[in-house]
Amino acid sequence: MTKKPSYVLEAENITINFGGLTAVNDVSLQVPFESIISIIGPNGAGKTTFFNCISGFYACDNGTVFFQERPINGIPTDEIANLGISRTYQNIRLFTNMSVIENVLIGQQPRLRSTCIDTLFQTFRNRREEKQSIQKACNLLDFVGLGAYADDVANNLPYGAQRRLEIARALGNNPHLLLLDEPCAGMNPHETSAMIELINTLRSQLKITIVLIEHDMKVVMNISDSILVLDHGEKIAQGTPDEIQSNQKVIEAYLGSGTENLVEKYSRRKADKGKLD
Amino acid sequence: MMKTILSKSSKFGIVAGIILIFCEMINLTSTLAEILEKLFTGGTAAKNAITPFYMGLVVGLIVFFTTINFLRTRNSQKKYSFGQGFFAAITISIVSGLLISLLNIILGSYLVNGKDVRVYLEALAPDVIRAFLFQTDIRQAVTYYFMSTILGSMAALILFWISQKTNQPAKSVRAFTHLKEKIQIGRAFERYPAIKTVLILLLIIAFLLLPLVINAYTISVLGIVLIYAIMGLGLNLIVGLSGQLVFGYVAFFALGAYTFGLLTAPKPFGIEMNFWLALLVSLIVAGIGGFLVGLPIMNLRGDYLAIVTLGFAEIVRILINSNLMADYTGGPQGIKNIGQPIQPSIFEKYFGEPLEDNVWFLYLIIFVFLIVLYAAFRLQYSRTGRSWEAMREDETVAQACGVTTSSYKVLAIVIGAAIAGAAGALYASRNTYTGPSEYAFMVSVNALAVVVVGGMGSIPGTLLGAFIIKGLPELLRDLENYRMVVFGALLIVMMIIRPEGIWPVKRRKLSVAPESIEILKEDLKP
Repeated sequence: MTKKPSYVLEAENITINFGGLTAVNDVSLQVPFESIISIIGPNGAGKTTFFNCISGFYACDNGTVFFQERPINGIPTDEIANLGISRTYQNIRLFTNMSVIENVLIGQQPRLRSTCIDTLFQTFRNRREEKQSIQKACNLLDFVGLGAYADDVANNLPYGAQRRLEIARALGNNPHLLLLDEPCAGMNPHETSAMIELINTLRSQLKITIVLIEHDMKVVMNISDSILVLDHGEKIAQGTPDEIQSNQKVIEAYLGSGTENLVEKYSRRKADKGKLD
Repeated sequence: MMKTILSKSSKFGIVAGIILIFCEMINLTSTLAEILEKLFTGGTAAKNAITPFYMGLVVGLIVFFTTINFLRTRNSQKKYSFGQGFFAAITISIVSGLLISLLNIILGSYLVNGKDVRVYLEALAPDVIRAFLFQTDIRQAVTYYFMSTILGSMAALILFWISQKTNQPAKSVRAFTHLKEKIQIGRAFERYPAIKTVLILLLIIAFLLLPLVINAYTISVLGIVLIYAIMGLGLNLIVGLSGQLVFGYVAFFALGAYTFGLLTAPKPFGIEMNFWLALLVSLIVAGIGGFLVGLPIMNLRGDYLAIVTLGFAEIVRILINSNLMADYTGGPQGIKNIGQPIQPSIFEKYFGEPLEDNVWFLYLIIFVFLIVLYAAFRLQYSRTGRSWEAMREDETVAQACGVTTSSYKVLAIVIGAAIAGAAGALYASRNTYTGPSEYAFMVSVNALAVVVVGGMGSIPGTLLGAFIIKGLPELLRDLENYRMVVFGALLIVMMIIRPEGIWPVKRRKLSVAPESIEILKEDLKP
């Protein structure tokens, strides 16, 4: 038994260039086990690019990504999925013409072993595996609250349900690490709170480590253990939600410079509130 | 209001008139009239003396459908009043009548002056023009044309008016939908899966008895349809499921046919191998061909396979036609005396006498077809088929979900190519001859049409497509020269009415009752 590595994911000095544009510049991130880390930043800050680099869509120009102390740079995305990193997408990308349960079955691909020869001759292994994977898919759908939709075509699901389905699909390969790209984008407050609950259960019940990008500050401040702030491809701050809220650089990135007074005002009001409570 | 109706209905009238003129120019009108007359009077019609009534009927029908279409195009909230509809119908019939009369005045005056229009339009023999003129003079004919167009559009108006007034589906239609609700075939299947199995078994048995009762011509048509169905099932795996376009599917068909031919014919090698062994070898050779074609494109995205296979098909066709390979492939002359399987004596024992050769071979095709059908079903509803479909839907995401897209791509091509190889071997053996002219680009197009018309990724759709593409043209033989025109029109209508194919794929119900979260927790342990 090897000793347990200290971090699920370690990104060291990641730099990604697109031609002359540096999308991500020298960003490092450590993700401890069973934590929820959020990445925030204004539009075009390089959040999704950073994600794409971790999940193998882009190769980084400089730096290394370690997954459980194993470098995963330049590995194709299907092997990264095999290792146990799953992700969802900013603009929902389901297999729209397939049924909901089939989507989840595709997510289990790295954990299935039967080949097309098994399929043709309907071997024992094939039957058993098919049965198990369907059962697991149903369990997963029930877990995210889509049990009733299992046989519908994915395209016909309501928006919020499609987001949940993406998560169920991502869970299929027994991930250690789940990357969520704006899981609450476009949701109403009710759906958002349900999503927060789901993400919390993912960690508490299934022991999955989560990194997420989100613009909804209510979500971010609620569930994150730690927040990484990017602006123009550079890391401008990292810390707990409270630290980030009062960070001068972060506020400047979001609201522009000349906001020192605002910060003071904010912290004063917060202090007042504390007194009142 | 009246003005817009006038301009819109005259547009429809012009369209109807142009269709009428076009049909007369290619002489479709009189052919249709002839067929109608044959239908109603029992085949006594002579080509050069068509009864004017049937000519008028054809003209009237075309105007009838145009008028119906005009009346229907209104959005459902606003309905035409009877007066407006009458006005529109009259406009349509007069405009189209004017156009068609104009043509016939010109044609008629040529005829009267003794000039032969066939120099310019080969379909228009003097007899045909006489039929267009309703076997009378020009003035009379013009009256007849106006009569038939006006009658046609009036009939449309009255029919539409009646259907609007009743405003409810006819009693018979209602009874039918009621019956359909009552029976609920799909639900019955779900509740008693045995019914489905029994039905499928009955269908297979009926299918197996079929060759014994049909005549030689139908046997040969059915053979071709089934060979195309086999090809379609193979191509469906590549195009319908894995979503890669293949334009040169005929290459694998040719590979299978030639391999089979060379292994079983007395010349040029004289191997004369056993049928089943040769079938297996040609299947494998075609599969290897598919593998070689698949290798360069396995890491590319987009429609590269379409171009690569298009080139490959041409290379194969030119190679087997060339002098370079003539010693092996027979060049343009092809390979003759390809072996056919020997009928086992078991048939003789049971039936008293051996089956006729073509019946026996049809059984052989059915046997291979059923095997391929089974394999296609198995593959489609398995992990492999699902991965192919995911690739078709979104290749990037499929790969990020853990589908090794490059190997799945090649796998689809190899299996599809092997099935085409088997079809080719059957085809060569059935004809006992194979030559380069049989592997033209048109075969690939037909195979692709089989898949697209039936419904991409749908197995029953593919079978239906094979029947439509290869069987329907045979049924339309009566239309002689026009069957390709009619066939084309049917395909267009089909694609407008059902753009996703005639029998689009239905998702299978797979869900089972979920278990507790504890099991899921155990399951998800990495």
